[in-house]
Amino acid sequence: MSLDSQIVIVSGLPRAGTSLMMQMLHQGGLTILTDEIRMADTDNPRGYFEFEQAKKTKQDPSWLTEARGKVVKMVSALLYDLPATESYRVIFMRRDLDEILESQEKMLARLSRPAAPRHQMKQSFAIHLDRLSQWLLTQSHMNVLEVNFNQLISNPVPEVHRIAEFLDHRPSVELMINAIDPTLYRNRKPAESDQ
Amino acid sequence: MTKVAIDSNLFERARQAATKAGFSSVEELITTAIEKELKRLGEADAEKQVADQLRGLGYIE
Repeated sequence: MSLDSQIVIVSGLPRAGTSLMMQMLHQGGLTILTDEIRMADTDNPRGYFEFEQAKKTKQDPSWLTEARGKVVKMVSALLYDLPATESYRVIFMRRDLDEILESQEKMLARLSRPAAPRHQMKQSFAIHLDRLSQWLLTQSHMNVLEVNFNQLISNPVPEVHRIAEFLDHRPSVELMINAIDPTLYRNRKPAESDQ
Repeated sequence: MTKVAIDSNLFERARQAATKAGFSSVEELITTAIEKELKRLGEADAEKQVADQLRGLGYIE
């Protein structure tokens, strides 16, 4: 099926690198569906690339027709709401859970909102991701590519080639690589190749 | 081992079902059923905690 008739979804847990992937695909030449309601801030200096209507897909999926051939960001839990009447290519971002939690805890602190204990949240995220992965395997209308954020930052070239191939070589590999700025990713354990 | 009392009719239904489904004993069927339910309850708690966290971060409503 042609990429023009499908919807590209960038998904994952918050702080797993979904905004970076949106930035890469945008710079790589794909059309992004975003309303820019949530503006860039300390946590995402280059912007969130969110689309508010995506949060209400269960109640109103009408925006999906407008999204064909475009890229939309949706947090992991919202994937369950996508109707099988459309076809999707899902880029699912994975990242070390401790890095994700550290970053989320800082974000929650800035928002003056409470954070659950780290060990509990880590276990809950692991269960959530495991169930979602199993579910995605059964969804014939969703093609999924998992991208590891840590590998993407430490050794981008092979990862970016995989992404380009998954998207029928539509986005420019060179421009996507140029969009990666490792200095922006502060809550990151050093990768073996960095040491 | 800890003993648990259950209704005798339910036990009989479980015994018949265990035989039909190929369990080695009724105890094996009951243990399997309890483990499945505990897993389901654990998953429900985990998903609720994830939803609360995502809501707190502003990613879902």
